Amino acid sequence: MRLDVVLRYVGMVMLFVASFMLLSAGISYVSARDSAFYPLLLSALLTALLGAFPLIFVEKKEQITNKEGFCIVVGSWLVACVVGMFPYLIWGGEFSLVNAWFESVSGFTTTGATILRDVEALPRGMQFWRMSSTWIGGMGVVMFALVILPALGRSKMTLSNVELSSLAKDNYRYRTQIIVQILLVVYVGLTIISTLLLKLAGMNWFDALAHGMSACATSGFSTKNASVAFYNSPAVNTILICIMALAGIHFGLIYGTITGKRNNIFRSEVTRSYLGYLLGGGLLIALSLYWAGLYPTIGSALMHGMFQFVSLVTSSGFATADTNTWTSFAIILLLFGSIVCACAGSTTGGIKVNRMVLAFKMMKARIRQRQHPNAVLRIKLDGVMQESEATHSVTVFIVAYMFLLLIGTVATTAFGIDLLTAFSSSVACLGNVGPGFGAVGSLDNYAGLPVAVRLIDTVLMLLGRLEIFGLIQLFFIKWWR
Amino acid sequence: MTGMRKRVTAGFLSIVCLLFFSGMISFFELGRLSRDTDEILKANQRNIELAKEMLDAAHEQNVALIHLAVFGDRSYDSLSRTRMERLESTLQIAQREALDKSFLDSLAFVTTELRLLTDNYLAFAPADSLDSLGGKWYNDEYEVLYGRLTSAIKNYMTSTQSSLAPRTEQMKKNAYRAVTPVLISLLVMIATVLMLYYFMSLYCVDPVVRMNKSLGDFLAFRVPFAPKADFKDEVQELREKIEMLISVSRQNKA
Repeated sequence: MRLDVVLRYVGMVMLFVASFMLLSAGISYVSARDSAFYPLLLSALLTALLGAFPLIFVEKKEQITNKEGFCIVVGSWLVACVVGMFPYLIWGGEFSLVNAWFESVSGFTTTGATILRDVEALPRGMQFWRMSSTWIGGMGVVMFALVILPALGRSKMTLSNVELSSLAKDNYRYRTQIIVQILLVVYVGLTIISTLLLKLAGMNWFDALAHGMSACATSGFSTKNASVAFYNSPAVNTILICIMALAGIHFGLIYGTITGKRNNIFRSEVTRSYLGYLLGGGLLIALSLYWAGLYPTIGSALMHGMFQFVSLVTSSGFATADTNTWTSFAIILLLFGSIVCACAGSTTGGIKVNRMVLAFKMMKARIRQRQHPNAVLRIKLDGVMQESEATHSVTVFIVAYMFLLLIGTVATTAFGIDLLTAFSSSVACLGNVGPGFGAVGSLDNYAGLPVAVRLIDTVLMLLGRLEIFGLIQLFFIKWWR
Repeated sequence: MTGMRKRVTAGFLSIVCLLFFSGMISFFELGRLSRDTDEILKANQRNIELAKEMLDAAHEQNVALIHLAVFGDRSYDSLSRTRMERLESTLQIAQREALDKSFLDSLAFVTTELRLLTDNYLAFAPADSLDSLGGKWYNDEYEVLYGRLTSAIKNYMTSTQSSLAPRTEQMKKNAYRAVTPVLISLLVMIATVLMLYYFMSLYCVDPVVRMNKSLGDFLAFRVPFAPKADFKDEVQELREKIEMLISVSRQNKA
């Protein structure tokens, strides 16, 4: 493996991150040169220097190997999380070393969990940097770097192999060269549209942009302590439900639908299942809340129930209500939604609907096989026959995911945290969702958790974002040879 | 500038910039911290000076009023008035300069009460006569207010000491903020130096060492000159020239 090549590409990602720091510093300057200006400017300069250094020595390479691509992705994510801490650390306030690391990892992995007790105390520049980190992380640090890479074809595919889940790649019916363009068009387009709609719904320009970026990245970072509940606006809630639901769909399919291609949302079995499960889950929660008398009308129960379910399933984590006070049935459905999450090929985390659909088909096939031992059964997803390797990897992933959830929960309870908080925080961090239940409820934060638990949560966030094996593989020395 | 020299110069310049940058940040932040510390110390000193001035004025007015009210000596009238004015002007200075104004409100209130009380007495006091009512006024009214005044001045004097703990906490935070950018710059500098070491080894040291070994093997054992390393810029040219030299030498021998 050529470490110099890896350093060059990671450096390019750092330059991209630095440009967003500079942009945040610009916003800080415009906002009466608030206290975030100096920390952001300083961080931008240091990050840019760190990123530019390898470019002085290493020339561009046309071809990169699979392992190099892998290291570029994982390395970029880790280094971005480290440099992302700089503005927080220099600014001070509530950001200790662990808190800054937590906030940075939470941003770049689009988890949206926060340790800030008072988000509104942050100056505008710092607020924008939080949103930028999550927006960059939303699409994947490396996918952005690919846009500026002059290398063609194969190198791009090598990088996207790691960046996207293997199931997402199968759904792409486009040439590799235009994948990046598709992602950018959909992502940037969705951000612009959501910003405009939120502005029309009554938010100011800054909040509209911040919430638009956060919703498209399915992060859930908000500029308000009470999250979206602050606005108490059905229009804002409805717009965010639509944006979050859209951001949970495979971006290639959204592009296909817009451009009138055959491979679109309506023909996708996975998307149909996802939308059905969103509607069904949201409706069941709403009925449960209405019957329990938590909301006076079915309309308000439906609004809050649907919002929270969509928010957690898409791993966003915005809040319009305190879900800790909801019924046990609603809580368990929300937890299930936080584990499964949305579709592969989107910015969401979790196990993903694709794997769940495939797992159900595998179970169905197993039952049929028992009935007809000699039958040759094929498992198809979206009309494509799935090879045994794909079905095997789905099983391994689900088992590994559940195993990590168990480890995370056990490790958290070891520090004296109650079971609901421990389990839900592990679910929320591994699935990159953000809020859980108990002490880390929808209107609470992670500031009350012990330092060790916060560090465990950041590891879970990184594992979840890099599809578990992406991060684990990096630590096997044999693999480096 | 040639390729290799350009790269190395750019690399070293980056580190020099970072060093300079880091130094400037330290200088700037430590300067700010020093100014903050200086400000707190000066405020503390000034606070004591003003409190002393107020206590002196109050004490002198007290003495003047004893002569005036108890012994009936009207010559102390002007002294009482001037000391009252001195007390008020010092209070105004403290109100302008104080970092923590919370203790000054009660002091200002007592001073106003004292001014009204003494003005009232001086306006209606009998001239040049020993008056038992004066002594009573002094004991019952003035002395009570005087006690409250001195107590308020002492509270003000110790106010900076009381607020020292939160200020020290703030200074601790400021010190942390002053050190953090420098630590981050150092961290970046360490990463940059490590990268420079790696690139220098990869592109300069390793190729030269391997060429040397390969050339030695060629001269000693006639092993073909084919060093394996990442050759770049002048090192690549050097390798090509050595290969050319070997080929010329072979041709000459042939």
